[in-house]
Amino acid sequence: MAEDDSEWVVESIVGYLGSPEWVIPVTDFMENKCTVFDDEDENKLSYTEIHQQYKTLVEKLLEHYMQEVGINEQQFLDACTSPFAKSKTLQSVFQPVLATDDFQMFRTLMVQKNMELQLQALRVIKERNGALPDCLTDGADVMTELQQQEMKILQEVLKKSKEEYDEEMSRRLLFEEELGSTSSSCSDKPMTEGGESQNTTSAASQHSSAAKVSPESKPAIKAAASGGGDEKSAAKKPTADCGSNGVESRVLPAVKAPAKSGEPSLSSSSGGGGGGPQTKEQSGVRSQTPAESWLEEAHREAGFSEPYTELSASQQEQLQQRAAYLRQQRDKLHALRKEQQKTKQTAKREKSPSSRTPTPTATPEAVGQSQRNGVCSPPPPAPPRAPPAAPPPAQHSAAPPKQKEISAEERKKLQKRKHLADKLKEEVIKK
Amino acid sequence: MGEAQKGLLSVIEKLKGTTEQEVRIVLLGLDNAGKTTLLKSLASEDVNTITPTQGFNIKSVASHGMKLNVWDIGGQRKIRPFWKKYLENTDLLIYVIDSADKKRFEETGLELSELIDEENLKGVPVLIFANKQDLATASPASEIAEGLNLHTYRDREWQIQACSAVSGEGVQDGMNWICNNIVNKKK
Repeated sequence: MAEDDSEWVVESIVGYLGSPEWVIPVTDFMENKCTVFDDEDENKLSYTEIHQQYKTLVEKLLEHYMQEVGINEQQFLDACTSPFAKSKTLQSVFQPVLATDDFQMFRTLMVQKNMELQLQALRVIKERNGALPDCLTDGADVMTELQQQEMKILQEVLKKSKEEYDEEMSRRLLFEEELGSTSSSCSDKPMTEGGESQNTTSAASQHSSAAKVSPESKPAIKAAASGGGDEKSAAKKPTADCGSNGVESRVLPAVKAPAKSGEPSLSSSSGGGGGGPQTKEQSGVRSQTPAESWLEEAHREAGFSEPYTELSASQQEQLQQRAAYLRQQRDKLHALRKEQQKTKQTAKREKSPSSRTPTPTATPEAVGQSQRNGVCSPPPPAPPRAPPAAPPPAQHSAAPPKQKEISAEERKKLQKRKHLADKLKEEVIKK
Repeated sequence: MGEAQKGLLSVIEKLKGTTEQEVRIVLLGLDNAGKTTLLKSLASEDVNTITPTQGFNIKSVASHGMKLNVWDIGGQRKIRPFWKKYLENTDLLIYVIDSADKKRFEETGLELSELIDEENLKGVPVLIFANKQDLATASPASEIAEGLNLHTYRDREWQIQACSAVSGEGVQDGMNWICNNIVNKKK
């Protein structure tokens, strides 16, 4: 008899503890009061006050319930101590009740609740803004760590690119000597077709003079930079498409292939920060961007290059404008970077800018070749800048792939943010 | 109504159904007496990073088959009014004194006598730790006992124990006394 009794009583109690009558006031109480409960070893005096209030609330609720159901305390106790109620699943149900008598348990519940709310708030902020405001991430070491990593990567990329540039240069010189006629024809081709190629002026000039060689080598630099990134990041993208073009111009092929593969990898290696375009807006991301931006420029130029051969004068003007724009952007980037890494990098930078500036002009040639096969290799790079600069119709083919790239970049960004949030979570929860 | 509440509380207490006997101990004393250090020493924790307690600490220590829930409440003057909120259902009071702080013997004596008069501590055994015996300037426990008029306590068990919370000396002796006394009393 007694057993029967306790069984229905237990069920009734459990039902009550799951009903809104109980859950709502208790949850309300916890959510309202949990904010002061932190993870410190030491308890605040205010905890005691809140615990007292909690006791009063629970007692009131339970008394009301017992009256309603018509059981007395003894029955309540019997029911709760019956084996049925001792099962693990029910234990958690009884926790809020037991917490009245056990301060430590109460505290644990409140700290948990507080953490839940905090995580919820973080999630909401993220959903609304797409990112956590700096004030919520700044304090974390994660941020500085990431930045440091990015700096390291950038420095290494710069170093590599410089090395490879030097290498390329020397190789180029050799090449020129050996293949004087062939190489010249390659570089000349685009220019002649284009007619007045102001951008390429330097390029147009014959290989014979060493100074002229340099413009051509610039594309190589870009490639080198990207190549550096490649080596670091295991994830190489199919470079094959561009490689095929290589046959046409010996100099350029090497340049293009790495560039394509290099870009994606670069960005990924840098922790998924934004691409070149974002750099200007986000100082944090800037560090990696310069390298990417060259690549992007090269690509964009490549997009143009195809048209370039058959360009009208006005289009060429546009090209020039774009080149000027690019140069400007670059200058900005340089300034930014100088701020960031004052000492070491300055020397390298001085070199790299000079090599870079000419690139716009030089690349068109390379691009032109790449473009023939180019369609298959989506020019991943510079989505943001492209819109302002690139009206020419020929670009249509290139445009869609670019957009894809954007989303990819954004995805990367998102991932980065997620990562940050996860870290935050971890830290919070660990406590 | 008041009775019903009491009954309910006791019901919930029984709900925990632990086989272990649980003992609630409150650890009080002036600021800088060494309460938290003593607590950590009881719990075998590091005693080198202790800062003045603004709130309270709780440690559960298993001893002699009992679970001792020790509540260490901050001793700064502004916190002392809160002490009495923690005295309910207390099985034992530990009062800690800085044996080297002679200037405040009177102050600590006053606080102790106030506690002794608390309704919630009626008949509750008191263990006084004459702490900081590792300091050269520390007064001996007997002297302190006299100053506190401990021998006038008639309504409860009491004991004074010289100790050093930092070195751990004497702490275990005090705990032994506690366990013996609680066992006697609870029976």
